[in-house]
Amino acid sequence: MVSVADLLIDGRLPGNYFAHDLYVRGSTELGLLENRRGDRLLAIPEPLLQAIYAGLERETGQASKLVLYNCGRWWGKNFYARFCEELHDYFNQPLADLSMAEFLQSLQQCWKTHGWGQIHMDVTYRDKGFIGVEIWHSAFTAFAPKSQTPSGDLERGILEIFFSQLTGRELRCMQTSCTSKGDDCNRFVLGLEKRLEIVEPMVIQGQSHQSIMQALIQQ
Amino acid sequence: MTFKLDALFDSPEKRYLDANDLNVLSQYVSSIPERVTVYRTLRDQEVTIMQEVANTLQQQSGQPDPLIERSIRNGLMVMRYVAMAMLLDDQGFVEERLRGWLPEIVKAYETQPLDRQLFQLLAQKLATVLTPAQLHLLKPSLEKAQATMFETRETVASPVASLV
Repeated sequence: MVSVADLLIDGRLPGNYFAHDLYVRGSTELGLLENRRGDRLLAIPEPLLQAIYAGLERETGQASKLVLYNCGRWWGKNFYARFCEELHDYFNQPLADLSMAEFLQSLQQCWKTHGWGQIHMDVTYRDKGFIGVEIWHSAFTAFAPKSQTPSGDLERGILEIFFSQLTGRELRCMQTSCTSKGDDCNRFVLGLEKRLEIVEPMVIQGQSHQSIMQALIQQ
Repeated sequence: MTFKLDALFDSPEKRYLDANDLNVLSQYVSSIPERVTVYRTLRDQEVTIMQEVANTLQQQSGQPDPLIERSIRNGLMVMRYVAMAMLLDDQGFVEERLRGWLPEIVKAYETQPLDRQLFQLLAQKLATVLTPAQLHLLKPSLEKAQATMFETRETVASPVASLV
């Protein structure tokens, strides 16, 4: 027999922790935007993002993609830790007990509420050992300089670390489509490094996401 | 917080509220005592109402306990948001808080048919504890909640669980 009273531990029903009207707060008289735990949030103006891209390009040229990717990894490592901590505190249970659906749904909501765009997981190729990630309306590539190759290096770094820590395996992340080269959204594929080797040359040749995925699953 | 009357409170920088605006405000204010009564009923009888629904749901559907529990949890969550939305007279509240969360959870655990059945039973049960006028107060947010719950536009499929 299902007991309703037993389902209501402490009378709580945890739901959307990252609901934007609950999550974003602040001590505005002190000039602080904060999340619901009191961690500081920051609104980044569009020209600043453009300036970062332009500044990196001028100072480091070719290396700017690598710099952004490494920044992304750094950010991703901290983001993963903080994200897990917040969910752990909110759901009041070990993260291992949290279902993958709730975990990933929280990630989507978190992404959205921070204004980073809409993130979707594509599990079509999971049996082949690949995770697809789509990011729509990305702020990071919206302001990147137009380019023939993808420029979501920050996001590539974050996703790589995030999913590596989540799955406990050293994953690589490659970007296969990008709004800065005219695609509808940013698409990424995660998998083991060895299995993603064919991706980079195909991306450089300007092949579409679909044909890259096709080649990946046929290898 | 999203609140239907927010738009009114935004207006001082533009003008004073006119007769229509004030009418909206006083209608809401005069409906508050009844709203509080309904809210109290839902709050105090939360477990009783849902336990009856759960028992019937279990008998009728013959689904395994974990699935029933999942569906009941959805029902409890929806009712809490619906009760709050009724108190605020703001259906947008339900949509805002549930959208992007509950529809995905419903999809991931594949409880749609069970959830639909649950809401039918819940409606029958609510009709026995609330007056028609009280039900009328609840109806807009309850309908909005159900519409939101079964509408999936985003994509996190349940098989993700098998990734790790």
